[in-house]
Amino acid sequence: MARQRKKIEHHPGELNLTAMIDVAFQLLNFFIITSHPVAVLAHLDVFRPSPDPVPVPRPRPPPVIRIEIFPDRMLLNDMQVTMPRLVDFLAAQASLDARKTVLIQCSQKSLHGQLIAILDQCTRLRMSNLSVISST
Amino acid sequence: MRKRGEEYLTGNLTAMIDVVFQLIIFFVCTVNMQDKAIDDSIRLAMAPNGVPVTRKELLEINLDVDKRGGVYLNRQFVTRDELGKMLTKIVLENPGKQIPVIIRGDANTKHEAIQKAMDACVKANIWKIKFAAFKERG
Repeated sequence: MARQRKKIEHHPGELNLTAMIDVAFQLLNFFIITSHPVAVLAHLDVFRPSPDPVPVPRPRPPPVIRIEIFPDRMLLNDMQVTMPRLVDFLAAQASLDARKTVLIQCSQKSLHGQLIAILDQCTRLRMSNLSVISST
Repeated sequence: MRKRGEEYLTGNLTAMIDVVFQLIIFFVCTVNMQDKAIDDSIRLAMAPNGVPVTRKELLEINLDVDKRGGVYLNRQFVTRDELGKMLTKIVLENPGKQIPVIIRGDANTKHEAIQKAMDACVKANIWKIKFAAFKERG
């Protein structure tokens, strides 16, 4: 008995483009992600005034609020305070002048969380002149 | 047993696999690598009144200080001298640019460890330092 051969059907003019479209999309994706937009430059004209020949007297620097942090206590201008009292004091000072300098001095053994708590309160009161120093 | 004339219902999965690969590539490329440089073991202090971080600076330096006082730059432990040298090198490579340094200190770290990181910044002429804290815990 003659073995029947499988007939393979060929459709003329049919091409599987899936792989090519895959690659095209991969490339498109790659170039979109890795491309950088071209920088647009602009020239802005400014005027630089000459220095004033008459020296201007500088205003007096604002007073400093000094806070010392120890592991077990806090000092405000050399006086021991609790956190609520310190916050009240800072709020009162900030209402007068929020640009006052707050100098926070941390002892070696104080915890970083204590410093963050005070900085957080200063930020809440919009006090921006904050300096942190470390005691030796 | 398959009967004559019965056909399995098959679908062409090529398009779906295409889309899946496209999505994988998209997410792999857009994932923020900076997040990987952050040490999750550090428990930052809470600062609910802090200004939320909306954008990251290009030349941002993150210094991690863990509970035991170890200082890490890009999750690599560094000594005080190494840190100072690295920061100085970064500053010299970027003249005239303000390089923001963000110290991510554990809330229970003693200040002496934070001081070590701050001193290295000051030695490298970096005076503007930020402390990272949680505004809201995730």
